[in-house]
Amino acid sequence: MLEADAITKHYRTSRGTVRAVEGVSFSLPKRGTLALVGESGCGKTTIAKMVLLLERPSGGAIRFEGQDIATMPRLALKAYRRRVQAVFQDPYASLNPRLRVGRIIAEPILAHERPGRAALDKRIAEVLDIVGLPAAAARLYPHEFSGGQRQRIAIARALAPRPELMVLDEPVSALDVSIRAQVLNLLQDIQDEYGLTYLIIAHDLALVQHFSSSVAVIYLGRVAEAGPTGPVFADPRHPYTQALLAAVPLPDPDHVLSEAAAAGEIASALHPPSGCAFHPRCPHAFAACPASVPPPHAVADGHIAACHLLQETHA
Amino acid sequence: MLLQVEQLRTYLHLRRGVLRAVDGVSLHVAEAETLGLVGESGSGKTMTGLSLLRLLPRGAGRIEGGSIRLDGQDLTALTEADMARDIRGRRIAMIMQDPMTSLNPVFSIGDQVAAPLRYHDIASGAVLRSQVIDVLKRVRIPSPEQRLGDYPHQFSGGQRQRIVAAMAIGCTPRLLIADEPTTALDVTIQVQIISLLKRIQQDAGLGIVLITHDLGVAASLCHRIAVMYAGQIVETAPVRAIYKAPAHPYTQALLAAIPRLHATERRLTAIPGQPPSLIDPPEGCRFAARCPHRMDRCAEPPPVVDLGNGHSAACWKLAA
Repeated sequence: MLEADAITKHYRTSRGTVRAVEGVSFSLPKRGTLALVGESGCGKTTIAKMVLLLERPSGGAIRFEGQDIATMPRLALKAYRRRVQAVFQDPYASLNPRLRVGRIIAEPILAHERPGRAALDKRIAEVLDIVGLPAAAARLYPHEFSGGQRQRIAIARALAPRPELMVLDEPVSALDVSIRAQVLNLLQDIQDEYGLTYLIIAHDLALVQHFSSSVAVIYLGRVAEAGPTGPVFADPRHPYTQALLAAVPLPDPDHVLSEAAAAGEIASALHPPSGCAFHPRCPHAFAACPASVPPPHAVADGHIAACHLLQETHA
Repeated sequence: MLLQVEQLRTYLHLRRGVLRAVDGVSLHVAEAETLGLVGESGSGKTMTGLSLLRLLPRGAGRIEGGSIRLDGQDLTALTEADMARDIRGRRIAMIMQDPMTSLNPVFSIGDQVAAPLRYHDIASGAVLRSQVIDVLKRVRIPSPEQRLGDYPHQFSGGQRQRIVAAMAIGCTPRLLIADEPTTALDVTIQVQIISLLKRIQQDAGLGIVLITHDLGVAASLCHRIAVMYAGQIVETAPVRAIYKAPAHPYTQALLAAIPRLHATERRLTAIPGQPPSLIDPPEGCRFAARCPHRMDRCAEPPPVVDLGNGHSAACWKLAA
């Protein structure tokens, strides 16, 4: 359904070129959930912005049902804007405080069609019901709701124009633990019920493992490892994925955290290290790592990792 | 006992009413022990931490009752001048969540790490400089001699939190309050700060109160955990007991609500509803409205039930 083909995004700044995204490819089948994971500054949100047409790729192409969204005809593009909706991290910032909830939900509908008053009200009540809010919520303002309820409103707004693909950018990281589970369950129910496809941006690996069917681990603008979520988490092949998983503090006092797996700091996308960008932090780095960018290597069906270590052992 | 808090009540006097942010909290911390104060936003964990330092919102926040004893001395009885001279930054230090806001962008990090040492007359001149270098070494800032004149923006997020830690431990405090010290950091940097805090504790034998919403971070750092809900501690226990045998329905629900790495459940067990307002909280158990085990007696305040081995929980179900 959605395909990224070697997309790049470079920002020119006074201090040099920031290589935010550097040749990222992935494909997302219909009804699938692809998670983009990585640490701050890795480019995952930039990728989401390009999918949402908020940024234009510097190179490569994003294809929706096989069509490049950069060269889509006007009508198809208008339909794309309806068929792809987004839920953002902070429901305090993403809802206009001056608009009533009904109006907030109506906006994406009115951008694409001109339903009558009654039909519009009916649709608003419908999506509020889907997210578990009463129809009366439409008359209230965002400040009258808690954080979890606001995120439900943001989900209702995204659902209103009947999208097929939803971009979820850290949809629960601003919420409390007990509310998070409510919203995650809701998102899963909606996906099952309406056959939605999800592209989720997240930094919480336990959440990603729970929520997604496939995953792409991004480090400094490149895919380090990607594949079906189960195998990637059970048998991570890239040292960065291994380091990320080892660094997650588990709610288990018997679990020993490993600090050794990723020494030092994340480099700047302004001056990325040569070759494999992870090599200065990698416990397994050897001569090939700073010399050249490791190509993606298939380690199993649909599971790829971009690491020189794998090239060596499989050569 | 290093820190002994009894029946602490801290209220916020707001225009819309009196908010009972901390409502009868008792806890203790021994030397070289880390106590985790775990809870969701608004549960009162940060207000408890700020009460220990008497750093409450000016005008609105007041300690209404209870005692806070540090090495036996009641801090609630001290004057503001005594708190500033003897306690704050000297015997109790604090690390806050966001190192970007707890460091001043217009002073060099050398000046900022030196400030508490200067304020408390611990060192001056060349001795001060060597102490600053020494404490920066202890938090593993590389070549601190060359970096004293650098400013916060010249450091990464993880290094900034190390500098904040250096400011906190410079005066060799007895107790460190760390309020979400790793929440703003990426996971591979977070693990570095977690081991730094462990090392600082081993070196100095100081007590730590770790305030966090992250049950993973708490498990990796704490010896004991106190779970807060709606201004009160609902359960307290050694770390293993909290995770392996949680007794309070809220603790159980919280642990069931988090997705776990290497688990396969498709659905999380959500906690219905939301916490009560602390302006007019319910008379009885504050979790009752969301609790799957609710009974009639929950309308009365629940007793704190001693479960043995330092494990206790405030719940009617356990009293039966």
